[in-house]
Amino acid sequence: MQEPVSFFTGFNPNDLWFLGEAALKTLWISILSITIGSVMGCVFGWVLHESKSVAGIILAPILDVFRSVPLLIQLVLFYNFAPMVGLDLNPFLSGVVILTFYTASLVTNVARGGIESVETSMRRASRSLGLTYWQDLFHVVLPIGGRTVFPAWIGVVLGVMKDSALVSVLGYVELLKASQILITRTQEPLLILSIAGAFYFALSYPISLYASKFEKRWAK
Amino acid sequence: MKKIITALLSIAALNSVTVTADTLDDVADRGTLRCGVVLDFPPIGYRDANNEPAGFDVDYCHDLAKSLEVDVKIMPLTWSERLPVIATGRADVVFGGTSDSLARARTVGFSIPYAIYYSQGVVNSKSNITSIDDIRGKRVAAALGTLPEQEWLKIAAKWGEENLYQSYQSENEVFLAVAQGKADIGLTTNTAIKPITQQYANLEAGPRMPWVADYTSIVGKRQDVTWLNYLNLFVTHQVRSGRYQELWDKYVGSDAPDLRIPGVMY
Amino acid sequence: MFDYNFHWRPVLKSFPDLIQAGFVTLEIASLAMLLGIVIGLCLALMRINMKGPLKWFAVTWIEIARNTPALFQLFFFGFGLGAFGINLSPFTIILTGLSFNCAGYLAENFRGGFQAIPVMQINSARCLGMNSWQAYTRIVIPQVLRIVYYPITNQMVWAVLMSSLGMLVGFKELSGETQFFASKTFRVFEYFAVAAVIYYVIVKIVLGASRLLAMRLFRY
Repeated sequence: MQEPVSFFTGFNPNDLWFLGEAALKTLWISILSITIGSVMGCVFGWVLHESKSVAGIILAPILDVFRSVPLLIQLVLFYNFAPMVGLDLNPFLSGVVILTFYTASLVTNVARGGIESVETSMRRASRSLGLTYWQDLFHVVLPIGGRTVFPAWIGVVLGVMKDSALVSVLGYVELLKASQILITRTQEPLLILSIAGAFYFALSYPISLYASKFEKRWAK
Repeated sequence: MKKIITALLSIAALNSVTVTADTLDDVADRGTLRCGVVLDFPPIGYRDANNEPAGFDVDYCHDLAKSLEVDVKIMPLTWSERLPVIATGRADVVFGGTSDSLARARTVGFSIPYAIYYSQGVVNSKSNITSIDDIRGKRVAAALGTLPEQEWLKIAAKWGEENLYQSYQSENEVFLAVAQGKADIGLTTNTAIKPITQQYANLEAGPRMPWVADYTSIVGKRQDVTWLNYLNLFVTHQVRSGRYQELWDKYVGSDAPDLRIPGVMY
Repeated sequence: MFDYNFHWRPVLKSFPDLIQAGFVTLEIASLAMLLGIVIGLCLALMRINMKGPLKWFAVTWIEIARNTPALFQLFFFGFGLGAFGINLSPFTIILTGLSFNCAGYLAENFRGGFQAIPVMQINSARCLGMNSWQAYTRIVIPQVLRIVYYPITNQMVWAVLMSSLGMLVGFKELSGETQFFASKTFRVFEYFAVAAVIYYVIVKIVLGASRLLAMRLFRY
């Protein structure tokens, strides 16, 4: 007989580190999908604004699907679909792919709103001053429209960061999954959930505070 | 965009060529065995103090990989994910106390049994449940997609008590639910009873469930008979070499059950 | 190139059950929204008009609801409260969780709405002989409702999508029912694909109904 194995062990300081690491993973998956998704969203928003007939008919309904089906269902579907076509994606990559498209579908609306918030007269004026189309887009529309929709974009960012918790369903060990694992092992749900909640709050609250300060400053 | 799509498609096409080849070759080519286990099933699968996978099934994964001379990638699964990962080809093999029911065998392939369990209840000490009949009118919990769930729902349907049944995502949520008083009895496996009742002061071993013993098999792709043959051979080798008894002793701590089924030729 | 055989027959067989579960989803989302609107209104008024503990209560509620994932909040109402011996049924867990979350988001929308109404109007109403209750219910709230109508619609869609988390706390709305069937038949992809379609239809119905209602409510 070997020495007895213990199947449950109490909460120890190491686990705090485990949760911290998981919080970094939450941050990492969010940053990755928000960055790519935002760039895609800006491009899509621009496409939808510029060519309302052709691209709109194809692109808009596709993006609409990502906004009208629960993220949880999207994740489960994609995770199960990818291997059928031979793509061997781990939970992290599957999560990134879906979160990216999800972000893009949300940012598209924001970006489009931003472009449309810049008055036509202003754009005409800039073109009359000799700016090319792209110069106008990057030096006039981006700074002015971007400022208007910045708070809305921050809203999307915070939303996606919290929604990244759903990737836990695929088994990716981010903050929420890590806390579940610890609950399983230590059987102390209240303590661990409180710590995980504090981590999320610490990730999200500063950004939302900054956004509301920014909004107030620009409202003046 | 078009280029990306064609590139993706060609990758997919390339992969699917290798997918249709058999798993044995696949694993050897890849150099890793993707092995699914359920980690909320102490002592068969759990996480140790360093949050690393451990347990009887996890060691079996390592043994199988060693026999194939490849690395192993442990994939933690929930109960209800065990068969889909095989059907969609995300894992090569699943250990995880999977009962070899005929319904499941229509979707995935099974090896010969590698471990035998029976279903047993774990009860809240306040619930006064000592026999099956005591469960009438009590709240029952089990993990989603497990054999106890399916068997219990048959009994519950007979009693007209399906509304008292509640499923959870994991076995540990079941234990937590019984300990917190959300349910009166949780249905689990005999091997889990000892560690669970040691962990919780207010949980006790409950009655053994009236259905037959739970013959659990290794799961592989249904179409891949050579792979299933290999898994069968692996099971017999584990027993022959004494490794089966050794691991059972380490994690469960008693004589390992006889894997033969009396009166049947395997 | 597919190495997967689709089986749609079991899904079709349980299709009526899934539709019924769709109604449960709609029901839970509507209930949560009703509670959310009432509580959100109270929280917004507390945050604007009160001082001391009541204000801080409202601020804490709003910030926690907005800065932690909805799934985390559900876990908290489930096993977190269970540690105190408070055991809610899965239905109550999802209803409390959704209402808690919606109330937090709606409160901020309402706050924005209230702040958009000039104080002057309340003063004028009081001059005309209305008491403060009348001024609020007849002058301010109708205008606020108009301002927040669109955000409320959005939140309703959000509530429908978020109710899918019921699956993870053992409640059988559309996602939970889907997962239950999928776990019995192992046809995960097929079931969730059908669920996705049903969600899409529900969301479109909600949006359409909201548009009709808007036409009726804001005629002048």
